[in-house]
Amino acid sequence: MATLSDILQSEDISSLQHLQLFARTVVEGFTTGLHASPHKGFSVEFRQHRPYVQGDEIRRLDWKIFGRSDRFYIREYDEETNLRATIVLDTSGSMGYRGTGGVLKLDYARKLAASLAYLLMSQQDAVGLITFDTKLRQIIPNRTKISHLHLMLETMIQTKPGGETALAPVIESLGNHLKRRGLVILISDFFDDATALLKAIGVLRHQGQEVVVLQLWDRDELEFPFSRFARFENLENAEDHVALDPAAVRNRYLEVLAEFRQQITEGLRKHQVDLLQLPTDQSHSTALRQYLTLRMR
Amino acid sequence: MSFLTPILLAGAAAFLIPLIIHLLNRRRIIHVQWGAMHLLHEVLKQKKRRSQIEQWLLLLTRIAIPIVLALCLARPVLNALNQLPGFGKSSLIVLLDDSYSMRAPTADGTPASDHARADLSRILADLPRGSDAQIIRIGGTPRPLNTAPSTTLDLLSSDLTDIPAVQGPVSLQNSLQSALAAAQKAGNPSKEILIVSDFQKSDWSSLLSGASLPALDALTNQKDDPSKPHLTLYQLPTQLSENLAVTAAELSAQLVATSQPVALKVRIQNHGKRPWQDIPVHLEADGARLRTARISIPPDGEASLYFTQAFDSLGDHALTVRLEGDTFTDDNAFHTIVQVRDQLPVVLLDGAPGSSPLTGALDFFNLALTPHLGASVPSLRDLILTRTIDPKRLKEADLAGARVVILGGLERSNGSLFPILRKFVENGGGLLILPAENADPLKWQSELGKEAPFLPAKITGQTHIENIDFPARLQTSRFTHPALLYFNDPRSGRLPDGEFQHWWKLDPQGDDARTIASLDRGVPLLIERPLGRGLIIQSAIPLKPGWSNLPLQPWFVPLAQRLTAWLATQDTESSAHLIGTSPTLALSDSQTTQPFTLTDPLGQSSALKPESATLTLPALTQPGLYQIKPTDADPKSTRRIAANLDPAESNLTPLAPAELTDLATRLGAQSATDFDSYQRLDRSRRLGIEVWQPLLLALLALLFFEVLLQQHITSPKRR
Repeated sequence: MATLSDILQSEDISSLQHLQLFARTVVEGFTTGLHASPHKGFSVEFRQHRPYVQGDEIRRLDWKIFGRSDRFYIREYDEETNLRATIVLDTSGSMGYRGTGGVLKLDYARKLAASLAYLLMSQQDAVGLITFDTKLRQIIPNRTKISHLHLMLETMIQTKPGGETALAPVIESLGNHLKRRGLVILISDFFDDATALLKAIGVLRHQGQEVVVLQLWDRDELEFPFSRFARFENLENAEDHVALDPAAVRNRYLEVLAEFRQQITEGLRKHQVDLLQLPTDQSHSTALRQYLTLRMR
Repeated sequence: MSFLTPILLAGAAAFLIPLIIHLLNRRRIIHVQWGAMHLLHEVLKQKKRRSQIEQWLLLLTRIAIPIVLALCLARPVLNALNQLPGFGKSSLIVLLDDSYSMRAPTADGTPASDHARADLSRILADLPRGSDAQIIRIGGTPRPLNTAPSTTLDLLSSDLTDIPAVQGPVSLQNSLQSALAAAQKAGNPSKEILIVSDFQKSDWSSLLSGASLPALDALTNQKDDPSKPHLTLYQLPTQLSENLAVTAAELSAQLVATSQPVALKVRIQNHGKRPWQDIPVHLEADGARLRTARISIPPDGEASLYFTQAFDSLGDHALTVRLEGDTFTDDNAFHTIVQVRDQLPVVLLDGAPGSSPLTGALDFFNLALTPHLGASVPSLRDLILTRTIDPKRLKEADLAGARVVILGGLERSNGSLFPILRKFVENGGGLLILPAENADPLKWQSELGKEAPFLPAKITGQTHIENIDFPARLQTSRFTHPALLYFNDPRSGRLPDGEFQHWWKLDPQGDDARTIASLDRGVPLLIERPLGRGLIIQSAIPLKPGWSNLPLQPWFVPLAQRLTAWLATQDTESSAHLIGTSPTLALSDSQTTQPFTLTDPLGQSSALKPESATLTLPALTQPGLYQIKPTDADPKSTRRIAANLDPAESNLTPLAPAELTDLATRLGAQSATDFDSYQRLDRSRRLGIEVWQPLLLALLALLFFEVLLQQHITSPKRR
């Protein structure tokens, strides 16, 4: 059974500490730092004391400590934000594909989701998690507490691939659970009917959600490198299989694949949805850096 | 279907290799747990069924390739013919050309006849056990080597070595007739007539151009007969296209007196495309070279030259004409025999002698027979010695020693004349009858019809030409009678100059009477009829002025002399023979009991025994001069004969391969040009048709198809 450290490796955490996530649009609530949020500086959770320096607001002095020690300390609180980021993780059967490179797509997705969650939480964003296959499976509401991260990670670890993908109705039903507008990070291979999928994302966008799509690809799915006669069995339906000579259909497959990717790309661009196509043999940090660079434009 | 090398069929098991590879591939198929199935479904939506068919096609092609390869190597034959009754053993009738042209060299320099014998031995050895064969030699007259079909093929093969190629041209009709007769006697239902020959164009061109042969029609008309013999043409193509040949040496007279010059007309034929210049031609008499002439001959042309020679001694003298420069030497010489006699006694029975010169019935004839009478020069000595007798006083003794009797001007018989003449002719004498000027046809018919029914013709009337400007003339179409052959050459005289105003109408009597010369009005001029050992010739005109201008023609002298010489020598054997024939010589009473020695041109002697009154020589196998000498007799009675090759055999040009194929097609036959091709033919006929060639093509096609299919399946442009 996978452990927490398997999902979130220390070097990933270190790498992500230097990254900052910027929300592109203003959502409800407020933010600190570089967030473009109507942040009021009102905190509810104490974090630490630090010595007063010139320029600090007088009202933030902790007069009780001054009274006891005759020294000026500033009382710092964790800042609270209104960015509600919801990571929607596809756990359908197709995510259970382990390519010739040995990487399980769901593993990659979990790590990616964990990294994102950690990053967002480190910025005090409220992060939630939703897993789904044919329907929504696990729903963890948005929180900012670091303990909430552990809950999400545990949920991810316990998630197993299985079941068919029904991406479009699931995305459509997301609106019922996302009462407030926010950021929806959709991690999936998007192996579904592209037209229905795009329509569902359009509905989500219409509800005011900002959507980011992280489409995962195994290298096998991109290049179809098989040479021997093979029986392809559907990960989502055991009764669905085809036996064929991969060399004979490779070129046609690549053409169909290109058409599919182009259809997804153009459809998402029409809905002003960012798309990042991530091969699973690429490191998570690289993938996230690409994404954040994209988001900082 | 059967196979010539069935062991190689095991190679067909190699088809298992691609099948096993395919099955192993199927068994070792990798299972891929795949997520992007919707993409694969999209790919396979249109391709799946076609791809499966293509995969099966590819597998079948790969399986078929080793199978077809193994079939090729095993040399399969279609043997539908095996269903024929009695198949397996067969009867072979070989028509072996032993004509002289088979001596011509083939590509490797050996004579075609040697090739024929060697190949035939192999063919005989290759026949299935129980087969029988009969060999018929077809040069000249067809002669079976074995009279009945023989199953001892090895002995038959050894007999082939004794067949020399010396015969004359092939007689197709007779040969095929002999073959058909042999085929009827053959013991097996499956029969083959195999013609082994060089297929000289001169022998076959008429058949090739569409002429029909009854024997061939009888063969080809057996279309639906399952026992119809297969006809095979086996050509031994000769390589010699250039050949010079002495085709004839014609004597101006077969019979001459001592010191009387005889002219020899030599014909030389060039059977080739190359012109020959100044070829030396030698004349040899009794083995000694006398003189040499030179001659040039155009391509495919003929040239003639003349020699003259006189002999001082009596007897048979040999004249040989020999040319130099030609590589095919056997036909470069021509031999002939001149009979030199002392004098030829001729009795003239003149029924109407004249009171003044040239007014008698036979005066002109007598003059023509003895033109040199009284000449003092020895070379102008007459061969013929005439003696005139009144027919009314003729006695049998008067004709003793005479060879020919000329009867002329006889209006009525005295009753005893014709019995004497009949006896004379029956004993070998010759009789020439010139009718009387004033004969009464009715009396002639009534009297002679009883006295001389043996005469060649009856006189039925007289014809007179009123308009002397349009006289009758001799019909000068080519003569076939030996006495008149000389006049076929225009240089021998202008026969059309002879004019005829009167003639007796002759009606030939007896089946053996034949017209030897006619007038252009379609009436006979000379009629010949044999009687006993002799011969009678009857003329339609007397030699009198007002009847014709015949006695005034320059050619009248040779005509009279040749007719007389013919009548004098017709009962003697010809001294000129063709190779391959067996001459028969008549013997005098004294010679019938003694043995003879025959010496051939190579100097080898053999003893001969006469049979009753004749001596039959063995078949002449060498061109040249033969000598027949009584063992214990006067050397002067030695006789000589000449044997020459048939001139038709000197034209060596064979049928071209395309012509042979055409001929085979026309005859419904098959053709071969060497043993290997015959063996293939025979096997395909006996066993079936070898089909490895089309299978090889199929194999190549399969290989190409496999490559193309593979490329098609993996083609990036494929939609």
